[in-house]
Amino acid sequence: MLVSRKMMSLIKAQEGWTRKMFEAAIQMKKTYGAENVYDFSLGNPDVEPPPEVQEKLLEVVAHPVGGMHRYMPNPGYEDVRGQIADYLEGRTGLPFTSHHVFMTVGCAGGLNIVLKSMLNRGDEVIIPNPFFWEFKNYVENFGGVAKFVETKPDFQLDIKKIKAALSDKTKAILINSPNNPTGVVYDEESLKELANLFCKERKKGREIFILSDDAYRKLVYSDGKLPELFTIYDLVISVTSHSKDLALPGERIGYVAISPQVKDMELLVSSLVIANRVLGFVNAPALFQRLVAGFQNTSVSIAEYEKKRDVLYETLMEAGFECVKPTGAFYMFPKSPIKDELEFVTIMQQEERILVVPGRGFGRSGYIRIAYCVPLDTIYKARPGFLRVGKRYTKKR
Amino acid sequence: MTISKSITKLMENSSWIRAMFEEGEKLKRIHGVENIFDFALGNPITEPPQALKEELCRMVCADTIGMHRYMPNSGYDEVREEIAQFCTENTGMPFTRDHIIMTVGAAGALNVVFKSILDPGDEVIVPNPFFVEFMFYIGNHGGVIKLVETKSDFHLDIENISNAITKKTRAVLLNSPHNPTGVVYNEAELKELCYLLDERRNKGQRIYLVSDEAYRKLLYDNTPFPDSFNLYDDTIVVTSHSKDLALPGERIGYIAVSPKIENERPLIGAMIFANRILGFINAPALMQRLVGRYQRNSVDIASYQRKRDTIYDILVESGFEVNKPQGAFYIFPKSPIPDDVAFIRELQKNHILAVPGIGFGRGGYFRCAYCGELDLIERSRPAWNKVGAIYNKR
Repeated sequence: MLVSRKMMSLIKAQEGWTRKMFEAAIQMKKTYGAENVYDFSLGNPDVEPPPEVQEKLLEVVAHPVGGMHRYMPNPGYEDVRGQIADYLEGRTGLPFTSHHVFMTVGCAGGLNIVLKSMLNRGDEVIIPNPFFWEFKNYVENFGGVAKFVETKPDFQLDIKKIKAALSDKTKAILINSPNNPTGVVYDEESLKELANLFCKERKKGREIFILSDDAYRKLVYSDGKLPELFTIYDLVISVTSHSKDLALPGERIGYVAISPQVKDMELLVSSLVIANRVLGFVNAPALFQRLVAGFQNTSVSIAEYEKKRDVLYETLMEAGFECVKPTGAFYMFPKSPIKDELEFVTIMQQEERILVVPGRGFGRSGYIRIAYCVPLDTIYKARPGFLRVGKRYTKKR
Repeated sequence: MTISKSITKLMENSSWIRAMFEEGEKLKRIHGVENIFDFALGNPITEPPQALKEELCRMVCADTIGMHRYMPNSGYDEVREEIAQFCTENTGMPFTRDHIIMTVGAAGALNVVFKSILDPGDEVIVPNPFFVEFMFYIGNHGGVIKLVETKSDFHLDIENISNAITKKTRAVLLNSPHNPTGVVYNEAELKELCYLLDERRNKGQRIYLVSDEAYRKLLYDNTPFPDSFNLYDDTIVVTSHSKDLALPGERIGYIAVSPKIENERPLIGAMIFANRILGFINAPALMQRLVGRYQRNSVDIASYQRKRDTIYDILVESGFEVNKPQGAFYIFPKSPIPDDVAFIRELQKNHILAVPGIGFGRGGYFRCAYCGELDLIERSRPAWNKVGAIYNKR
């Protein structure tokens, strides 16, 4: 056996449609030229880091300091963590210190070390559905069980369903707002209800954490409002990265922030140190730790993303799609006009050269995900195609 | 309970290392860093080669569009191409970029490899003494570490290895040049090992040779480094540029899979997938581009050799029983008293920091990392002499 059985079954679970789609897309780009294929399938933003970030990077490498590429303490540079703590304190009014901040290899690395630290075999993590598929893999890496809970029709949290899903094994809920794949921002009311529910559970002796994947936190549009989770609930661990807000996805830089209200904080940090080490991350990349520290309030242009959102949303409406209007991230999750969304995705690919991802890749069949982190021009060019498939397949309302 | 049981156990096991580390930090505060002879940490003070620093600056200046974006999970094609060429030069074997996966250091690479090949209960043979993180990398993915004692000179004991192989053996994990002993395995012993593994292979059991070559370029006295790829078909090499290019904080390394592994595509596919789901996603972008061009470079080996010569000379002069290391930057003398932890405390009293052998699976020894300043090593001589005079009476 070349590969472990466990690994083989994991790969097979997703290989089916993704590979077929992926290969068809490559073929299509070869045949028609990449510019004539409208690729909305990838969450790989086409934007560059903000100019001030690029300037700072140049400054750092042009004036090298001795030891700048060496190991540092596993949680990251003390001063970098301090700067981020200051930002968090300013944002939340809570007494964050460097001890509450842990630099990580991106958000994916952050989630893995948090889950490794928290989960015993069989412990359950609630994940609102639709969801970013990797969450399931991250939870299962450490013997955890992902419990999926359907969201409401507008993709907001369904507190009743969450309550019904709780068990003695529930360790945490893993949320992602702004959300991939729906672009929805969870509203304050439902987060408060969630906090209430968990506070009641605590009285019964059940301590449940909210793990919040905040990777898209700064990508909230003028018609959206992101509630401050740290001030709504105490047992909050936020995991984030600078892949989207500073457009540095390839550099793998992010951090974990633990609420100052978590009592076992020191124990948690010590366990993150071990998890970071034994999982092989060791520390977040040194150079980019130094770089991001000073840019906690910086972000790529939100207005540009909002413009893209507006043009695409308007296109979908005109085409007759049914879609919740996203107020953050760079994803849209319309209903597929025909029941089998895989078939619809294939139709879009073959008839209009538009590439999107079937909803089943996010736990929700019957929908499609459109990633609009592409040049605005691509959206305009794809517009006639969207309108044509809309005319053919959607019922005008 | 916030913390999982498995992590709690790991924390308990490493608590004494922490205590020792804190004691060392305390000594530094009291007596000044320059008066504490720190041989405990393997964090080299060496800077990356000047040319590499300049190249980094040029790359950032050029500011290529998309240079910080995601790339394929296995890494940039052109970087993997450059590394494949280097592997071909070393081995004469037809490496292509498809045999290379860029990783978050060697630690990331080993986790990716073990996640890809191990099912629960599968065994990995590791010669003892060993770098203790190996145990976690294997255990993370349900594997079982089988420690096999080496000979008194820390070279492979083939008979012991032969006895340790079972139907569950999935891999042998080697690290040469070796942490903590500085030993470099020679061709003869590796051939014997590979002969054993080939025998198993002929019976239908695939055992991977996983070779951690993070210290590969740190060789002294013209010691030859036999390439495992040339000795055994099912070889997977992991490495990093933490030591040879002095970039440990940047987390950059790679996996190279032997072109002789039959139908290697599913294996490589599994590793790329593991790289994703373990949360590495890809090796840091900027550093990938940088190291691709510097496969043939390294920090100044001669300066490491001077440090090796100095510490070896001091230890021998002080009456310690010790093997002369041929590579890496570690030396692993015998503790003059059986209780190595007690001896480390004695060293601390004399302002010397080292790590007890028990931290590497071998009590009765201790590890000194000589990747600090040469001057500091030289200045530690009287302290070693003093301890030696007390403990090494013959």
